[in-house]
Amino acid sequence: MRVKIAVCVCSLTVGLGVLPGAVAETTAEDAKDYRTAVMTSLRGHIGAASMHVRGLVDDHGFLARHAEGLANGAAELKHLFAAGSDVGESEALPVIWEEPDEFAKAIEKAEKATQAFSAAVESGDQEAIGAAFREVGGACKGCHDRFRADND
Amino acid sequence: MPTTTRLRLLSRIAVAAIVAVVGAGVALADVADDVAKQASDEDQVAAGRYLIHAGGCITCHTEDTVDAVPLAGGRAMESPFGTFYSPNITPDVETGIGGWSDDEFVEAFWNGVSPEGEHYFPAFPYTSYTGATREDLLAIKAYLFSLESVSMPAREHDLPFFMSSRTAAGLWKNRYFAAGRFTADPEQSEEWNRGAYLVRHLGHCGECHTPRNRFGKLLQEQELAGNPEGSGDEKMPNITADPEQGIGRWSIRDIEYFLDIGMLPDGDFTGGSMGAVIDDNTSHLTREDRLAIATYLKSLPK
Repeated sequence: MRVKIAVCVCSLTVGLGVLPGAVAETTAEDAKDYRTAVMTSLRGHIGAASMHVRGLVDDHGFLARHAEGLANGAAELKHLFAAGSDVGESEALPVIWEEPDEFAKAIEKAEKATQAFSAAVESGDQEAIGAAFREVGGACKGCHDRFRADND
Repeated sequence: MPTTTRLRLLSRIAVAAIVAVVGAGVALADVADDVAKQASDEDQVAAGRYLIHAGGCITCHTEDTVDAVPLAGGRAMESPFGTFYSPNITPDVETGIGGWSDDEFVEAFWNGVSPEGEHYFPAFPYTSYTGATREDLLAIKAYLFSLESVSMPAREHDLPFFMSSRTAAGLWKNRYFAAGRFTADPEQSEEWNRGAYLVRHLGHCGECHTPRNRFGKLLQEQELAGNPEGSGDEKMPNITADPEQGIGRWSIRDIEYFLDIGMLPDGDFTGGSMGAVIDDNTSHLTREDRLAIATYLKSLPK
């Protein structure tokens, strides 16, 4: 019985932690880590999607999910660069916060390109898929060019 | 009409007719020559338009601004030896290369000497271009000369005192520069040789990716093994077939795709100066040429 109660209390606590509307006490380090995690997920989706686009693997209906994942992640970009989150081993360059309008344009381009890619995948038109994927790549590259530290 | 007069008249008509026919023939032959010449000129310009991308001319000879005029020069190139500003290579006679002859153009690439007989600093990568064929170079010239002239005087280089004279460039060349055309390796495939020509000479990949000694000499025995000094803040990665330090784990297809779109095999996208190389140059090449480049890179010693 005691064990049961303990389990109940535990789940209640965990439940409270993720209640909708709760405000997280995000540190700068958390913000940076979260940004890195989302970027890594984008990289995973795009790497996987590229193999479909290049015809290297069969699609069992999952290209659409990768495309959706990309569009979701790209839509989140605008929330990932809170002021002060350029801490630790961050590749985000100061120019992101110095030229917020330019940066906003660059991530909007990524958001639109990934939406268009997702729509192209839905259409099933191979040529459109290839062209839209190229646009996604251009948006990634264009933004990394100015706003990310060279990590090679 | 007396017979003699008639004959004379007939012969005159005949002569006139012959003259007319021959004349027309000559005129037609001239037209045909002109058409053929025009077609070959157009072919040369088209070849040059392609080679401009293979040679990576645009990136350095275009200022790094949104509204920069292509190939009119003005880009700053930072190096451990000072900052160089690229010159205008549009056909403007006063500030560009409009007054250059074919031989002068080729001489600049093969031997690093300007039409005025001055030595170029190796910021202009004649150290690589020296291997290019005359045919390719003249196609590049034909394309450049087909462009609109832009008046844009060259900006003075910003160099330390010991580099401030062209004599310094001459001394450097004397010690570290060896002129010479590319010769195909008969032991290797045609694809490998094409890749070697593009990588070593036209594409001048080693200018950034090969380490240098403290005098800026390229250390060819470590070809494309990376240059930590790099350009500006950028470190240039090792692109040999080394699986740890280089790109040995990338397939030939991965490399081709990277040069086309800029994606690394793990889904990351390059930015920085390689992003510009892809946008301006390698993405404009044929897939065959990118595969040739990849084939050559994969053959480099680990």
